[in-house]
Amino acid sequence: MDVILAAVGDAVAWKVLVAIVVGTWAGIIIGGLPGLGSVVGLTIFLPFTFGMDTIMSMALLIGVYCGSVYGGSITAILINTPGTPQSAATTFDGYPMTQQGRVDEALGWATFASFFGGVLSCVLLIFCAPQLARFAVNFGSIEVFALVCLAMLCIVGVSQGSVLKGLLCGMMGFVFSMVGSDSITGADRFTFGSYALSSGFDLIPVVVGTFALSEVFMRLADRDDKAANIPEASLRFPHPREILRRLIELIRGSFIGSFIGALPGTGAATSAFISYAVAQKLSPRRSRLGKGEPDGIIASESSNNAVTGSSFIPTLALGIPGDVVTAMMMGAMVIHGITPGVRLMVDQAQTVYALFVVLIIVNVAMLVLSKPSIGLFRYLFKLPRGYVMAGIVMFCFIGAVSVRGNPLDAVVAALTGMLAYALRCGGYPLAPLVIGMVLGPQLESSLRRGLLIERGDFLGFFTHSGIATTLFVLIGLFLIWTLWSSLARRRAGPTCRSDLSHSINR
Amino acid sequence: MSTSLIRPRLLLALALLGVGAGLSVAAWNGPSDAMLVPRVVLSIWCLVAVLIAVTELVKGAPTVALSFSPLPLLMMAVLAAALAMKHIGFLLPSLPLVALTLWLFRVRRPLPLMLATTLIAGGLWFLFHHVLLIRLPSLLTSGVV
Repeated sequence: MDVILAAVGDAVAWKVLVAIVVGTWAGIIIGGLPGLGSVVGLTIFLPFTFGMDTIMSMALLIGVYCGSVYGGSITAILINTPGTPQSAATTFDGYPMTQQGRVDEALGWATFASFFGGVLSCVLLIFCAPQLARFAVNFGSIEVFALVCLAMLCIVGVSQGSVLKGLLCGMMGFVFSMVGSDSITGADRFTFGSYALSSGFDLIPVVVGTFALSEVFMRLADRDDKAANIPEASLRFPHPREILRRLIELIRGSFIGSFIGALPGTGAATSAFISYAVAQKLSPRRSRLGKGEPDGIIASESSNNAVTGSSFIPTLALGIPGDVVTAMMMGAMVIHGITPGVRLMVDQAQTVYALFVVLIIVNVAMLVLSKPSIGLFRYLFKLPRGYVMAGIVMFCFIGAVSVRGNPLDAVVAALTGMLAYALRCGGYPLAPLVIGMVLGPQLESSLRRGLLIERGDFLGFFTHSGIATTLFVLIGLFLIWTLWSSLARRRAGPTCRSDLSHSINR
Repeated sequence: MSTSLIRPRLLLALALLGVGAGLSVAAWNGPSDAMLVPRVVLSIWCLVAVLIAVTELVKGAPTVALSFSPLPLLMMAVLAAALAMKHIGFLLPSLPLVALTLWLFRVRRPLPLMLATTLIAGGLWFLFHHVLLIRLPSLLTSGVV
C-alpha cells in the first residue's frame, strides 16, 4: 500500500502533470494530422525527454501515445481521413454521421469511448497484468491465425451491398502487404528486380493515399457539391442515459482492446477491426452499423484506446514490445533506467505503479483537452478549402516519407491515392483494402508458422488447442449467422437491404 | 467539351483482372514456399475480378459522360512531385505542388497564393526538417535543402 501511495505521489507532481498535459495535447494534434501518427509523435518528443527524470519523461511519451491514438479519430470523423491507421474503422460510422449533420454527436462518442476504453484498460493493467501476461503467452501462431481470421470477417460486414468488391479490395490490401522480402524465407516477392521495392510497402503511405489523397481528389472532382464542404467541428458528450444504453458496447470494445493489446504483435488497428467485426454480430443496433451508428464508433474507439494501456502488459511484464510504438516506448524506458521484464514488478514496483497512475491521468487529460483540441481543428477547417486541401497533401507526403525515411513511400502514397480514387468511383469500398493490409501479414506469418508446427497438416489447426478450437467454432458460428441474416434480409425484400458501401465510399 | 466513355466500371474490373492475372504469373514463377499464400490470394483475386466483370457486363452499367476536369492535372502533379522527391529533395517539388493545389481549389489572388505556398510548403518543411529534426528527402547531401 505504501508503494502505491508513493507512486501516486510521484504521478501527481506538478512537473509530471505539465508533461501529461503537453504530451496529450500534442499527441491529439499530431494524431489528427493525416499521416502523422504515434511513431512520428514519439520520434519528435523522445529527444526532449533526455533531460527529464523517469516519471516525467514517461508521462510526456505516454501522453503523446494515447493522445495520438485518440486524435486520429477527429479527422476520420470530419473528413473521412483517419489521422492514424488505428482510426480507420472509425470512418465506417463516423463520417456517415458527419454527413447526416451529427458531427458533434460523433465526436462526443469518439471522445467518451476513447476515455472509457483507456481507463478500463488501465484498471485491468493494474489488477490483471500478471494473469493477462500468462494467458497471452498461450497464444501461439495457430491461435493468432484463428483470431486474425475472425477479424477478417469484418470485410464482409463493411462491404454489404458489394461483398465481391469488398473481397477484391481486401485481396488487394493483402497483396500490397506481400511486396518485398518474405519475412520467413527472405525471398523477394513482387519486386520485379527493383531494389527499392524489396523493403515492401509501409502501412502509413497506403493509408494516407487511400483515405487522405483520394479524399482531396474526390473533393476537387466534386467541388461544386455542397456535401463536399468541410463541416464545422463541435463536440457534444453523450447523455448519461445514452451511455447506459450503450454500456455493453463500451465494455465489450474495451475488453476486446485490452485483450488484443496484451498479445504481442497485434496492435490497435487490428483490435479496432476485430471489435468492429464483433459489434456487427452482437450489437442490438447492428443493422444500422456503417450508416452512422454510434455503436460503430464505440467499437472502434473504445477498443483502439484500450490497447494503449494493455500493450504495456507484454512490454513491462515480459519485456516483449508488441509493435513499433511499444518498442519505442520500451527503448525510452531503458534510456531512463526502467528495465522491462519479469523482475520489473519486484525491482521497480513504485515506478511501474506510477506509470499506471500516469496512464489513468492521461486518459482524464484527454477527455478534458478534447474540446480545445477540436476547437483548434474547427479553426483550421474554417480556412478556405484550398488551404486545408494543400495542407492535407503536404501532411500526406511528410507522413509518408518520415516513417522510414524512404522517398519511394511518397510515390506509393501518390499511386495508392489515384488507385483509391478510381476504386471509389467504381463503387468499391476502401476499408477492406486497409483491413487486408493490416491483417494480411499477421494472417500469412501465423498460417505458415502454424503449418510448420503442424507439419503441413492444416486440419490440425482446428484441434491444436482449446483456445484455437473455440476461436474456429466462433468463426463458423459467425459465418453461419452472416449467411442466415443475409438470406433473411433477402427474403424480407429489397427495402431492408442496406447500402453500406455508399456511405463508406463517400 | 464532353466525350462518352464506354462503361468505366467494366473497364476498371477488367483492369483489376489484368493486374491480378499479371501478378499471378509472377507468383507462379516464384519460389513455391514464399509464394504459397500469394498464389492462393491472387487466385481468389482473379476469380472475384471475373465475377465482378461479368456482373458489370450483365448489369449494363450506364455510360458516363466525361467533361473537362482539372483532376488528372492534380493527379499527375502529385505523382511527379512524389517521383521528384528522391532526386531533388522535399522542398523544391512541394512548392509548385502546393501552388497548383491552391490554384485548383480557387485560391487565385497572387498575394494569398504566394504567401500560402511559402507557408504551407516552406513552413512545414522547415518545421519538420530543421526544427523537429524529422529528416525529409534532401537535395544536398548536407541536408540543408
